[in-house]
Amino acid sequence: MPLSLQSLRPCFEGAVPAVIATCARDGTPNVSYISEVHFVDAQHVALSFQFFSKTRQNVLENPRATVVVVQPDTGAQYRLAVRYLRTEDSGPLFECMRAKLAGIASHAGMTGVFKLRGSDVYRVESVSEVYGTTLEAPPAPEVDVTTLRACMARLSGANDLASLIDALLDVLEDPIGIVHAMVLMYDPVGERLYTVASRGYAESGVGAELHLGEGLIGTAAEARIPIRISHATSEFGYGRAMREDAESHGLTAGLEARIPFPGLPQSQSQIAVPILAEQRLIGVLFAESEATGRFGYDEEDGFMVLASHVGAIASLLEDEAVSTAGEYAQPQRASAAPQGAPLRVRRYLENDSIFVGEDYLIKGVAGAILWRLLRAHLEDGRSEHTNRELRLDPAIRLPDVSDNLEARLILLQRRLEERCPALRIEKTGRGRFRFNVLRPLRLAEIPR
Amino acid sequence: MTGEPGQPSPLDADHAAFIQGGVSVIVASRNAELVADVVRGCGCRVSRDRRQVTVLVEPSRAGTLLDDVVANGMVAVVFSRPSTHRTIQLKGTDARIVKVTPADRAVAARHLAAWIEELGSIGYANEFAGALRGRAEHLAAIRFTPSAAFQQTPGPGAGQRLEP
Repeated sequence: MPLSLQSLRPCFEGAVPAVIATCARDGTPNVSYISEVHFVDAQHVALSFQFFSKTRQNVLENPRATVVVVQPDTGAQYRLAVRYLRTEDSGPLFECMRAKLAGIASHAGMTGVFKLRGSDVYRVESVSEVYGTTLEAPPAPEVDVTTLRACMARLSGANDLASLIDALLDVLEDPIGIVHAMVLMYDPVGERLYTVASRGYAESGVGAELHLGEGLIGTAAEARIPIRISHATSEFGYGRAMREDAESHGLTAGLEARIPFPGLPQSQSQIAVPILAEQRLIGVLFAESEATGRFGYDEEDGFMVLASHVGAIASLLEDEAVSTAGEYAQPQRASAAPQGAPLRVRRYLENDSIFVGEDYLIKGVAGAILWRLLRAHLEDGRSEHTNRELRLDPAIRLPDVSDNLEARLILLQRRLEERCPALRIEKTGRGRFRFNVLRPLRLAEIPR
Repeated sequence: MTGEPGQPSPLDADHAAFIQGGVSVIVASRNAELVADVVRGCGCRVSRDRRQVTVLVEPSRAGTLLDDVVANGMVAVVFSRPSTHRTIQLKGTDARIVKVTPADRAVAARHLAAWIEELGSIGYANEFAGALRGRAEHLAAIRFTPSAAFQQTPGPGAGQRLEP
């Protein structure tokens, strides 16, 4: 049976550099190391183009070449007969290779030297093993089909977005065994991603935001592709994600309006995969590990299967939420009267950011929702609410399509749990919830 | 620059020491259709006057390389030290297969030990380094006159010709 390119995927992790032999039109051979050979599909690989080299000059005039790759666990070598087809200098393949190269460069102490100019796509015309003694192959991957099936059954059981996201992080932890992970949802209006749930961090980071295209997560979201890094890199780490321009938020100096991004300080391996419903971006699933090379092609496949299942279910739940949230809540008095010292809540109209006491709580759409709930409590003594009334309220400024209301409510509910237990959102049914206020309120609005 | 008798070698003493150390030796040639083949070598020997370089390869791993060398004598060889990324490429147009001598076998044995030590210094297990390099129970020797040498360490200076 001929060797399939697919079975060689571990060779394309960048752990051991590959070599390429090319030949100029005048018959002079050339041999060169390649930083990154990327598995594109069963017939194609892409090579990183970083420098204007002899290799590149040769393949442009004579496209046939030989690549030798190494299996990093067994030391086995494989000869690929390849033919150069084209170079891509933007798009998903390029972005994916750019991120991976940054990881490889960092591992090799070559950060700043390795910069991807293009992805050179080659057709693989044949594959053969180089004769030699090899070491024993490592054990099979943890994410097998049986495990995946069990995970998907658990995800299918979710009846709302919050439990779906929790189920996703649960199955990652057990049975898959990935303990540091987070889910971010996409806000198409602000072109931002915000964390709604996480596992394994000292601070949950719920509410932490980053822009589309920013860091590994933002790049995976923008290009709608899975991205993995096997070795820590400053270029794609959190560094950039944490740098956010406070001025753009129009906040008074000294007021901390950002929620710190969660993350492992010693993170070595990272993976971010987009959660899509059809082609629409819903969010990103991210995981990391202090071990190098923790996420391989098999993990990437597993993550993509889970993420696409989550995307499809989330999209169904969204449609349900919109269609079944048609009733108004019965006006009802809050059950217990608020007690204790008054809770001082300020709202900055500039960006709907809300502070409780001196502490930043939340902003944006979730901030506007909270303000509406607080006012309803004070003015009408009302605690029962429906998603529909929030959708109809022009003050909340939800976008018309795919408003992400459910995700905003999850964010708000979890932020309150963490930072302001005196205010509580409690789900009472499909598209309905109760807003409990345990302390007397004192509200103030700060104009622009 | 053509490796004619009387031309100085592009290799200085430092280059010669480098390519005979614990470096990877990657040898390429090409066939009549201008398709290059490539194999990891098992060591290198430089003549006293630095005008002749002999690289050792394991025939069973070499694919069509030895046939290609016999047919046209064109070779390119890259030497690289994994721990520093220092890399040199030599080209030759007069490569031929020569008889393997006991001295060549000694070179191959020293190369294996130096290579295992080199890879060990950056965290690779001895078994892995050995598997990658091969046991070289059988050897073939390819000898050529370096007609050109290039600095190929990744970075802005990559591709620069080494002058004699």
